[in-house]
Parts: sequence; structure tokens; C-alpha cells
Amino acid sequence: MNKFLNLLNKEIRELVTFQLIFSLIFTLILFNFMGSITKSEMKKAIETKDIYVLDLDKSSISKELLSNLSLANFKVKLLNDLISKEDKDIALDFAKKEKINFVVVIPKDFGSMVSKFQPIEVEIYSFIRGFSLSSNVGSAVLEQVINAMNRYMSDMFIKSKLPEIDPENLKNPIKKKEFVIVKDKIAEGSTSDVLNSIYSQTVFIPIILMIIIMYTSQMVLSAIAMEKQDKTLETLLTVPISRRQIVIAKMMGAGIVGIISAGIYMYGYRSFMDGVTGGIGVSSSTSDIIQKLGLNFTPYGYTLFGISLFLAILCGLALSTILGVLAEDLKSAQSMSLPLIFLVMIPYFISLFSDINTLSLPVRLLIMAIPFSHPFIASREILLGNYNIVFIGILYMLIVFVALIIISARIFATDRILTMKIRFVRKKTI
Amino acid sequence: MNFLESVLQVENLRKLYGKFEALKGVSFEVKKGEVFALIGPNGAGKTTTLRIIATLLTPSDGKITFVGKDLRKESDFVRENISYLPEEAGAYKNMRGIDYLRFMATFYAKDQRELDEFLERAKQICRLGDRLKDKVGTYSKGMTRKLLLARALMTKPALAILDEPTSGLDVINALEIREIIREYVKEGTSVLLSSHNMLEIEFLSDRVALINQGKILETGTSEELKERYNAKNLEEVFRRVVQ
Repeated sequence: MNKFLNLLNKEIRELVTFQLIFSLIFTLILFNFMGSITKSEMKKAIETKDIYVLDLDKSSISKELLSNLSLANFKVKLLNDLISKEDKDIALDFAKKEKINFVVVIPKDFGSMVSKFQPIEVEIYSFIRGFSLSSNVGSAVLEQVINAMNRYMSDMFIKSKLPEIDPENLKNPIKKKEFVIVKDKIAEGSTSDVLNSIYSQTVFIPIILMIIIMYTSQMVLSAIAMEKQDKTLETLLTVPISRRQIVIAKMMGAGIVGIISAGIYMYGYRSFMDGVTGGIGVSSSTSDIIQKLGLNFTPYGYTLFGISLFLAILCGLALSTILGVLAEDLKSAQSMSLPLIFLVMIPYFISLFSDINTLSLPVRLLIMAIPFSHPFIASREILLGNYNIVFIGILYMLIVFVALIIISARIFATDRILTMKIRFVRKKTI
Repeated sequence: MNFLESVLQVENLRKLYGKFEALKGVSFEVKKGEVFALIGPNGAGKTTTLRIIATLLTPSDGKITFVGKDLRKESDFVRENISYLPEEAGAYKNMRGIDYLRFMATFYAKDQRELDEFLERAKQICRLGDRLKDKVGTYSKGMTRKLLLARALMTKPALAILDEPTSGLDVINALEIREIIREYVKEGTSVLLSSHNMLEIEFLSDRVALINQGKILETGTSEELKERYNAKNLEEVFRRVVQ
């Protein structure tokens, strides 16, 4: 009979409760639902827009302008053909009735004023019928309409006055040729495109790291606190199995369930974020630049990152084991998890809003002393090919883990497992 | 009944919690097939003594010999041959009763046949019938205690350590628990129990030790002690010994 497997099986079964399965399924469904709604809203926002135009001028210039708008991804529909009389109020009433979102009114003297280089106002009416994402993005479309009109008009004027010059060369005489350099590699491309692309691909990493470390740590903390609360720990400690195996089974059980749960949670979150970003991928040209600069995870990089994450999880599990011993019950275990949450949140926020390399030396050392900082650091440094700091992090986490495991094994092997406790709530006195 | 062979020998046991001395040189002996009881008020040192013998706590001083082996050096052997029922023990609430018994039996059984034997015996001891298929979380206090007692006795341990076995139970459940203990120790298991219920001790034990403030004050059978102190029951004996 394998005693260790028996214990590990029990630990996993204790953690995989109906509530956990339900909450995971619920989270998955919720994220998928939210993702698909956001996706459809985003789709609505970026699809070709119908622009209803009331052309009161009907000059050759206005007609040419409208046909040019059609080329700029706008579907122009003339209200003149849809209403009984060419009148602005009638057009707006019609738009209200037909739930039309945008109406552009080209005034009567548009052609003649434009030919005299006189400024002229084009009226644009936008109907707000909701506050969804697509409504918001839709308002940006109006700006695009005006820009497209202005571009066309100015190009037309330049061509008429200086037919031998390309209007584009006149408007933007200085062209840029951008290069990005990473270490000894150079590639032609836009820095912001590269940074945006790297950001969109790695934005999930800190979130994944934070969730996995916190999830697994909370699991083992609760598992030990539950044994204490339900008064099962004393019995378990007297069965013929070594204390070391009890600690390892608890940590392994929590690790397995925690990683699977975090994985499911992240899958749901990813599908939600795919909806938010509309599942837009990286353009092939940017992808080529990233490849050329070596700013992607190689199998070696992935392996190092995996080791770094795994060690951070182990450190979290070992620390939680000690905290779990100090807790008297599930309630106090929640308070006990606070220092752990802080230790994970600090590198999480720093990785989101700052770069550890730009911090002052004392702060940097403080951050690096937190074992959970290292996978956050590794996720960036591996991309830049700075492996030394990743190796140092791995070695440091290994030392911390060994120290923590020795401490927790010692606690389990001595009276402290039963006598060590910290109370956060004072006992009521009568 | 004559008990010749010694199962447990406790000599001059001391335990310090920081500066507080919980046990001040406790000595006693439990013989094979005997029910030996430690009686005394709350805080007398009963649970500390039982926890040390159950390998949960380490003694500050003294010697404990279990079936001829030193408890400190052979703790694995001790754990294989004793079972401990703590006063406020619980079982895993999400497990079904039968699964809990199987989980615990797996630590002691050498093979499947022995595991089945343990489970069969546990079913007879706890008398919970079909309720064993239900989750432990749905059990009453009395049912949980019976389940835990079955867990403690199913492996026929050389020594069963029972800390306040009927604590917090109603009269009927307490009576049933006492009957179970009496019935199943006949098969050779020695029992070391603690209680502050003197009537329970008189009913269950072959010999008793009176413990107070970390010291054993008297040891003997109930009859011997009553005669020695000219008392009607153990409660009176205890009062006279303490005074």
C-alpha cells in the first residue's frame, strides 16, 4: 500500500470540492460570455460605417468629395434620395425614425466657398443611443470623416495650383526611416510598433504569475488551517507516515490543484482579453522585426522561465506551509495570507508600471530579496537575452526554498506544529 | 484478571512549555489487555501525557518504553502499533464515512486483504450501517465519535490511547461508546484513557492513576483506592488524595 499516494490522493480530493469546480466553471463561462460580447461590440465599432449625407450643394466638388469618402471605407448614403424634401429638419426627423447614427449635412454654398479658399462648416449630427464601446468608438469615426474630407480637399487644391508636385511631398517633406537596436542586433522598423507588440504579447505574464503563485499558496495555507480547524491534524500526525511526507503531500496536492485551477482561470481570462483586443494579431512585418531582434521566447528561454516560475511556486508553497502552521483556523489563515499577498503584489505592480532596472539600488535590492520578484524579472530579461540575472534569481529562489522547506519540515517534526499559533482576534472575556 | 506482560512503561516523564512545567516526573505502567485510566481535573497533565506517548510531543525528560522499545528512538514502530483518539478529534467532512476509514486503514494495512479486514472490523465497531456511505459532514457528534473510535480500534493496535472518549456526548451515545471500548479490548488491545468523569472510569478501567498538577498521586484498581481511602466512589478518593 503506497501511503504517500494515499495521502496525496486525499489532499487533492479535499481541495477539489464542488464549490471549487463550480466556481471554475462559472468563471470560465463568465469570461467567455464577457469576451464574446466585447468582441461583437468591437467588431461593430471597427466595421464599415454607414454615413448618411444630405447634400444641399450638389456641386461637382461635393459629389467628388462624397465619392472619395466611399473609397476611405465609408458607405455613403444620400439622404436626398430618401426624404420627400431636401431639408435639414426633415433629414434629422428621418434619421431619428430610422435610427441612423450619423448625418452629415453639406451646406448650399459648399462648392463655391471651397473654390474661393474660404472656410466652410460641414454639420455633423451624431445620435447617442447607448453608452457601449461601439458608440464610443463610433464617435471617432466622425473625426475620420472630417480628416478624410480635409485631406481630399487640400490635395485637390495643391494639385490644381502645383500640378507637377505630389501633394504628399509638400505636406510632409521629411520622411523618417526608423531603426530599433537591441544589444548587437539592428532592424528597420518602428520602436512603438515593436514595444506595443511585445507589450500585447507579454501583458498576460505578470497576471498569470500573480494568480498562479497566490492560488497555489492559498491552497496549501487553507489545507493546513482546515486540518487544524476540523481537528484532523493531531490524528494525521500519529499515523505511520513521516512528517516530511505529510508536508510534501500537502504541498504537492496544493501545487497540482492550484496550477490546474490557475490554468483554467487564465484560459478564461485570455478568451476575455481576446475579445477586448478583438483577437488582433501581430502584423507580419512587426513579427519579422521582433524575430530579427531576437525579442521572442526561444525554447531555452521558455525553459528558464518555467524553472523560475516553478521555483517561485515552491517558495510560495513552503512559506504558506509555515504560515498555515501559525494559523489556528481558516479565518486566521486568511489574515496569515496577507504578507504573502503583499510579497506577490509588490513585484506584480512594479512589473506593470515600472522597470526594476530603472529603480534606485536599495529599492532594487529590496525587490530582488523577494523571491516572487524573480519570475517577473525573468519574463522581461529573457526577452532581452540577459540570462545572468535570471540564473541569479533561480539560484536565490532555490536557496530560499531549501531554507523554507527545512524550517517547515522542522516545525512539522517538533511540538511547534501543535503549539505554535498566532491569534489575530482577542479571546472574549466575560 | 491478571496482566503480566507490560506494553507501556513511563518513567519519570517531565514536560516543560517554556518555563511552565506541565509534567513533573510522571511514572506508570500499562499491561497487555489492560484498560488503564488517567483521571484528574482539567489542566492536570492528562492530555500532555497522552500526546507524548502518541509521539505528538517530545518529552523534556524521562523514559518511555513501548513493547520493549524506546519511544524516542523507535517512533515509526510506535506509530504503527498504537492508535490515538484525541479529545476534540474530527474527520474530513468532505469524505464519506467509509472513505475516511479506508483512507486511515491504508496507512496500517500491508495488503488488500488486511485492508478489507480492517474495514469490516470498523463497520462492526461503529455500527453506522448505511450512514457510512454519507459524508462525514452530515454526521452528528455521536456518530462522528463512533466513526473515530472505529478508526482507532479497527487495526487492533497494541495500545489504544483514548483522550476523553465520551467528552461532549449525550448519555446514550456515551454509554454506547463505553460498551464498544469494553467489548473490543477483549481482543488483546491495551487501552490508555483519560477522563475527568470518575463514573466512566469506574465502569471502564482495570486500573487508574490519579493525576493532579503534573504529578501522579495514586495508582491502583478502583476497589483498592476506595478501600485505601475509605471512600464510596472515585470522586471521593480524588478529593481526599488532593486534600
